[in-house]
Amino acid sequence: MKEFLLLLRESTDLTQMTPEEMQADMQAHLQWMEELVQKGHFKAGNPLDTEGRHIRGTNRLVTDGPYVESKECISGFYFLLASSLEEATTIASGCPALNNGGMVEIREVIETHAAEG
Amino acid sequence: MQQKDNQLEKLTAHLFRENAGKMAAVLSRRFGLEQLDTILDCIQDTFEAALTRWRYGNVPDNPAAWLMTVSRNKLINALKRNARMNLEETITTQETTTQPDFVIDEQHILDSQLRLLLACCQPVISEKNQIILTLHILCGFGLPEIANALRMQQETVKKSLTRSKALLRQQPLQQLTQASPIDGDRLPLVLTILYLLFNEGYKTTRKAKGIDPDLCYEAIRLTRIVFDTVTINREQTAALLALQFLTLSRFPARLTDAGEWLSLEEQNRDLWDQRMITEGFFYLRKATQGKQISRYHFEALISSIHCCAKMFGDTDWPSIVMLYRQLEQLHPEDASLTLNRIIAGSYYSDPLDCLHELNGTASLHQIPGFLLEAARGHLLQRAGLYADAANAYLLAKSLAQSPVDQCFLEKKIKACG
Repeated sequence: MKEFLLLLRESTDLTQMTPEEMQADMQAHLQWMEELVQKGHFKAGNPLDTEGRHIRGTNRLVTDGPYVESKECISGFYFLLASSLEEATTIASGCPALNNGGMVEIREVIETHAAEG
Repeated sequence: MQQKDNQLEKLTAHLFRENAGKMAAVLSRRFGLEQLDTILDCIQDTFEAALTRWRYGNVPDNPAAWLMTVSRNKLINALKRNARMNLEETITTQETTTQPDFVIDEQHILDSQLRLLLACCQPVISEKNQIILTLHILCGFGLPEIANALRMQQETVKKSLTRSKALLRQQPLQQLTQASPIDGDRLPLVLTILYLLFNEGYKTTRKAKGIDPDLCYEAIRLTRIVFDTVTINREQTAALLALQFLTLSRFPARLTDAGEWLSLEEQNRDLWDQRMITEGFFYLRKATQGKQISRYHFEALISSIHCCAKMFGDTDWPSIVMLYRQLEQLHPEDASLTLNRIIAGSYYSDPLDCLHELNGTASLHQIPGFLLEAARGHLLQRAGLYADAANAYLLAKSLAQSPVDQCFLEKKIKACG
C-alpha cells in the first residue's frame, strides 16, 4: 500500500448554506470517510484553520494568509492508502467537496526509507 | 489507524435545524431579543465551525451540547466586541467563555422555546409573517427553504423577516424572562399559528418526502412543546395535536407516485400510518377529559371518524355532518365548513337536495371559484347528471391555479365522459 496526500481546496461560501444543507454536506463527508475506513483506505485527515501566515524571502517577510475567498485556499487534508495513483484518484473522485465546487489534489508520499525500486 | 466508526450515528435527523431553534431560544432568553441578529449570526458561525470540524470525523459525543456551548461562547465574544451593552450588568463574572461546559437541562430549553414562540406569535406581526418568522428562528429554516415551502419568492421572505425581526427586537427582555410567560389570552394566538403552519404544510405538499411534510412535523414539534410546558387549556392543545397526527397519518396515501392528488375515496387505506393514528387517539383522549371544546376538537373528531372507517363506504357521514354543523356555529365566518358539511351530506342524502342548498347559500361566494365549481361537479356527478358534472369540472379546471389541482379535475372530467 502506498500513501497519498489529498489536499482539499474549497471556496464554498458557508454563510450561504442553511443549517439543513450544512448537515447534509457533513453527513456526505462522514459517509464517504466511513467507507474509506471500512475498506482500509483511510489513514488520517484534518481540517485547517482559515487563519494563517505566509513567510517569504531572506528577510522573513510575514504576511497574513491564506486568503479564504480564493480557490487556492487549502481547507483540509487526508492521508489515504491505495495501491496506485490511479486507485487513489478513483477514491478521491468520491470526495463530496467536489459537489460544491471544491478541488482535490492528490500527491503520493515518497517513502524515504524504502529502497529505490 | 484512527478509529472513526459510529460518527454518523451521533447525528440525528435535522440536528442542526432543530438545534438552531433551541440555541436561538436559550440565547435570546439569556441576552435579550434586541441581540437577535447577533445571536442568529453566531448560530450560523457555530454551524460553520461544526461543519468544518465534524466532517473530518470528529463529531463530539454530545453534538447538541457542543453546539450550545460554542454558540454561547461566540455570542459572548461578539457582544464584548460590539461593546454595545454594559457587560458588568449582563454577563456575570462566572459567565465567561472559559467555562468548560454550558449544560442546560431539557426543561429550560423547552421553556425557552415556548417563550420565543410566544414572542414570534404576536398580533403586531401578520399571521403569514408570524409563520415565516417562526420557521426561521424556531425551526432553523433558511430563506430558500421557507420560500420553497410556502411557495414564495426568496426576496419576499427576506423582506418579511427583516420587518418582523425589527419588531421582535423592540420586545422588552422581560417578556422572555418573566416567571409565567403565558396566560389564557396568548395561548389561542400561538395555537392558531401552529394550526396555520400545519395547514400550510398540508396544503402545499407536492411529494411524499421532502421539505413539505417537514412543515407539518415542525408544527407538531412546536405544538408538543406547548403541550409539555403550558398547564392552562391543555385540552385545546391536545386537540390540536390529535388533529395534526390524525391528518398526517393519511399523508402516505394522499398522492400517487406521479404526484397526483387522491381523494379520500381513492386512497389505499392500508397506507395510512397506524403509528400516527395511535398517537392521534392518545391526544384525542387527553383532549376530551375536560369540559373545554374548540375548533380543534371538532376537526380532530371528524378526522378520527375517517381513520376508523376501514373502507370509504363505512364512513359515518351523519356524525361528520353533525360535527360540521357545530363547527359552523362556532365559526360562522368560515364558509368552507358549510361547503364541507354539504359534501359530507351528499354521501347519505339526496345529492340534488345538497346541490339545492349549495346554490342557495350566499356565504359560499367567499369560497375560491374552483373549489365551489368542483363541489358542484361532485354533487351533479353523484346525482347521475354526468354532462352537467363534466361542465362544472371543466369550469373548475379553468379557475384552478395549481397543476396538481388541474390534473385532479381532469381525471374527474374523464370519469364523467
